[in-house]
Amino acid sequence: MATFFGEVLSVYSRAVEEDDDDLDDENEDERIHREIEEKREVHIVWCPEVAQSLEDSGSNTLQCSDLIIAVGTNAAGFLSAYVLNTESWDAVGHVSLWNERSRGSSRQSIAPLPGEPACLFYRHRDNPAVLVCQSTCYIAEDQLFQWTEKVLGCLQKRGLSVMVLSDSPVAEYKTPDYLYGSAVPFLRSLKSSASKGQALCPALEQPNILTGLPAAVLSHCQVHQIPAVLYQCYTDVISPDSITMETYKPALLCLSKLVKLEPCLSADVLRKFAIITEAQSNLYT
Amino acid sequence: MSMSYDRAITVFSPDGHLFQVEYAQEAVKKGSTAVGVRGKNVVVLGVEKKTVAKLQDDRTVRKICALDDNVFMAFAGLTADARIVVNRARVECQSHRLTVEDPVTVEYITRFISSIKQRYTQSSGRRPFGISSLIVGFDFDGTPHLYQTDPSGTYHAWKANAIGRSAKTVREFLEKNYKEEHMESDTDTIKLAIRALLEVVQSGGKNIELAIMKRDESMKILVQEEIEEYVTAIEKEKEEAEKQKKKT
Repeated sequence: MATFFGEVLSVYSRAVEEDDDDLDDENEDERIHREIEEKREVHIVWCPEVAQSLEDSGSNTLQCSDLIIAVGTNAAGFLSAYVLNTESWDAVGHVSLWNERSRGSSRQSIAPLPGEPACLFYRHRDNPAVLVCQSTCYIAEDQLFQWTEKVLGCLQKRGLSVMVLSDSPVAEYKTPDYLYGSAVPFLRSLKSSASKGQALCPALEQPNILTGLPAAVLSHCQVHQIPAVLYQCYTDVISPDSITMETYKPALLCLSKLVKLEPCLSADVLRKFAIITEAQSNLYT
Repeated sequence: MSMSYDRAITVFSPDGHLFQVEYAQEAVKKGSTAVGVRGKNVVVLGVEKKTVAKLQDDRTVRKICALDDNVFMAFAGLTADARIVVNRARVECQSHRLTVEDPVTVEYITRFISSIKQRYTQSSGRRPFGISSLIVGFDFDGTPHLYQTDPSGTYHAWKANAIGRSAKTVREFLEKNYKEEHMESDTDTIKLAIRALLEVVQSGGKNIELAIMKRDESMKILVQEEIEEYVTAIEKEKEEAEKQKKKT
């Protein structure tokens, strides 16, 4: 390096030349990445019968004709109240995952407690090709692809048909018209191109989009040409609420073709699944 | 587009909206329905009673509040905001009596409440009150009044109106069924309010609370039996109207 006065100084290079340290750092980085990846891995835990069927089939897949996924507390509550309320459903598995909002992996092999946010699978006893999934836990964006690949990868694609029920706040619904109170909650639908047949409600208008698990599932079905239909319910209530759950009733038409449903529902059953949180009930008069 | 203009209360959006005020009106819709009818000799306020928790004392869940001997009001929206507004209005009623030696007119106290609400839409660091109210009463010259205020601080006089959850349905019912000549009769005025509420209230009369005030009398909250009597009479009239329709 030349200075103003003409002298030449030798300069030490600032590049670190100690290769050993570099390697250690890289290894440490890699180790940390790997640890985080393992921690965030999505695990599906099946019950012994289903695990056995998976092994027995050559391709590690289950025969499934209809998969119904409920994403959100109201969708899950609707299925619990209207579909899973008979005795003929068995819990066959759950998904265990960890992220900042869902800390499930501490009990990977133990099924989640009732009422806890979780991702549970149920199968109908008389018609074991019908699978229901209730997802009430938060699945992070980086885990969505894994979840979808692992869950839908367990099922044979041939003859599979998927229905997704999902909740969304109405504040995220974009429309040029003003929504009067009586219109909410309401349903909108989206289908994969392999899905023939009429959806039971108007299609989701532009520029509204889906995000999260419903979007991941529908994208997977679109790519793999699986007929799939999604019903998104826009509601203005944060907690599980019986009126929002009743909005999913049109889906019962499809479900009743698959499994026997209870014909009528007492208000008590619905109220069990709808929680009136204390804050909500005293906040507004 | 609206996102950046709806945080601060004191900021207009490019198309002239005050979003916080409009959102406050959404909070009003979360409250249960209240209906008000102005008759010739009686003013009526009816509200949908909230279901209270089992251990809660339901005397403390009041939607209808007296502001003075000649004025009372019902609100819909945030409970705590309503308490503040009602307290300030009550103090103002007494202050008016002390200063002017006359009870407030319904319009005066309505204007006072609306001014408070408007002030909160124009100062930063505060949010609008999330309530709409129906204010009824008699002036000292005996004229009955019904006013409605909303979170923006506007107020208008009405012959009959509704606020809260299913206000639109109730208002449409009132527009169809309000008859000037019926307002001469106290019973018909009360029945109109009850009929309007029955349109939207689940499980009938036991979820309705009604308060009436006749000229030169104080506010009276009807007991459950009286409300049931009116409901029975209304149902009978409905049946007879159906029979008449079938005959013709």
